[in-house]
Amino acid sequence: MKELVVETYRYRELIWALALKELKVRYKRSVLGFMWALLNPALTMLVLTLVFSTIMRFAIPHYAIFLLSVLLPWTFFSQSLSYAVESIVGNGELIKKVSVPKLVFPVAAVVSNIINLLLSFIPLALLVIAMRHPFYLTWLYLPIPMLALIIFTLGMTFFFATANVYYRDVAHIVQVLLSAWFYVTPIIYALDFIPPNRQWIFKLNPIIYVINGFRLSVYYGQLPKWQSVAASFACAFIALFIGFGIFRKYQDHFVFYV
Amino acid sequence: MSEPRNTGNSAVVTVENVTQRFRVIHERPDTLRELFSKFLRKGVSYHDLDAVKDLSLKVPKGQMLALIGRNGSGKSTLLKIIAGVYRPTSGRVHVEGSVAPLIELGAGFHHELTGRENILLNGLLMGYSKEKMQEREQSIIDFAEIGDFIDAPIKQYSSGMQTRLAFAVATEVDPQVLILDEILAVGDAGFQQKCFARIQNFREAGKTILYVTHNMASVIQYCDRAVLLEKGSIMADGDPAEVAEIYKNLLSPEMAPLVTS
Repeated sequence: MKELVVETYRYRELIWALALKELKVRYKRSVLGFMWALLNPALTMLVLTLVFSTIMRFAIPHYAIFLLSVLLPWTFFSQSLSYAVESIVGNGELIKKVSVPKLVFPVAAVVSNIINLLLSFIPLALLVIAMRHPFYLTWLYLPIPMLALIIFTLGMTFFFATANVYYRDVAHIVQVLLSAWFYVTPIIYALDFIPPNRQWIFKLNPIIYVINGFRLSVYYGQLPKWQSVAASFACAFIALFIGFGIFRKYQDHFVFYV
Repeated sequence: MSEPRNTGNSAVVTVENVTQRFRVIHERPDTLRELFSKFLRKGVSYHDLDAVKDLSLKVPKGQMLALIGRNGSGKSTLLKIIAGVYRPTSGRVHVEGSVAPLIELGAGFHHELTGRENILLNGLLMGYSKEKMQEREQSIIDFAEIGDFIDAPIKQYSSGMQTRLAFAVATEVDPQVLILDEILAVGDAGFQQKCFARIQNFREAGKTILYVTHNMASVIQYCDRAVLLEKGSIMADGDPAEVAEIYKNLLSPEMAPLVTS
């Protein structure tokens, strides 16, 4: 774990350059370029707002904000994972030729998505204002769930990026896993919709605690209970310990399999 | 990290009893389906190949060493071990100071990025700081003779331009050990001249150079020492002209049918 911190710090400039490269390449040749990082969530919001305020009406006021407060962090998680699962294999040519710590690739993939996550909160803030939803002071609390989410995402990323080196099916499995995971996580619905005697099943989902923090602070203007915060960080660090532990164990062999 | 400074003529690159074993798996299962089917058929067939076999080598400071040998003799594997790309199966490798770890010039180039962005990215990949790369940027651009193209994506460069830029980056950053893998075949005569002039400067500055090539003329002309590899072991080591002669003899049984007339 110390290795992760030390190497990340040592190679921070490289990680940053790789993350920027990823963004640049992603938005290259598009007329609006970087603007897409803002437009994408904004347009998604527009669609969702239209759908859920006219076609599928939930008895939740300002449903778009209810939804987006957790959909944006979820999008960060799922996009990071889908990008980063390929980060070792995708940089195989480089790994075969340059002696560089392998962890820079998954970390850079996550960092590029952090930039997207932060940018995506700008249109959300605008939406909050446009819909006259109260702008709660608890927005200031957001860095805490973001930190937990980033740690959790890194952990998952290390695990799946390693697995994908050995079995390329993993990249496909991750896609299926993510779409299933999306529906078992209270994103489009609230945990209260679930009968109380079944809620414990949903609470086994490690991402639910961190997601909860986002919705409480943006939509309800409340802070999560400390137990929930502790659970979110516990899940995050367990994921990181296991994920990075496995990554570290296998990283010297990557070069033979990419 | 910090080793005691070496001032004398002691080895900069030390390779001790290094073996690099590759497991060549026949039809390695790449997907789970293949894994399951292999599993049912009990086990995977493979053989082990020692690309480098119990090899020891010391390269003193300031030496320009040529590594020669036939295809598959282990030259590239040995370079990759020295550069830290491979961790050897057994044995020990020690390199004093920084080694330009690019095995292939321009390996870290990304085609969508501009020359300038690539200079930075490549430098960072080699472990240099952003500050240092920005300092050297202009002299890299000048040396590579890229001119106005520097802000164009390098996919628009000719292959010669790409190689020149790569060579400029690799040598401008001032590594203690420089690895050159068959690159001087590219570029026109003028640029090749410039490359060798720069390599000469490197040697005068006391840098160590590992040079892999099939061009015996350049080995004899520029190198202090040549090492001939065959099947992962050192077959000959010494004066470039003599070792090049042994290499030619090694090739000749194969070449003979071609030069019958």
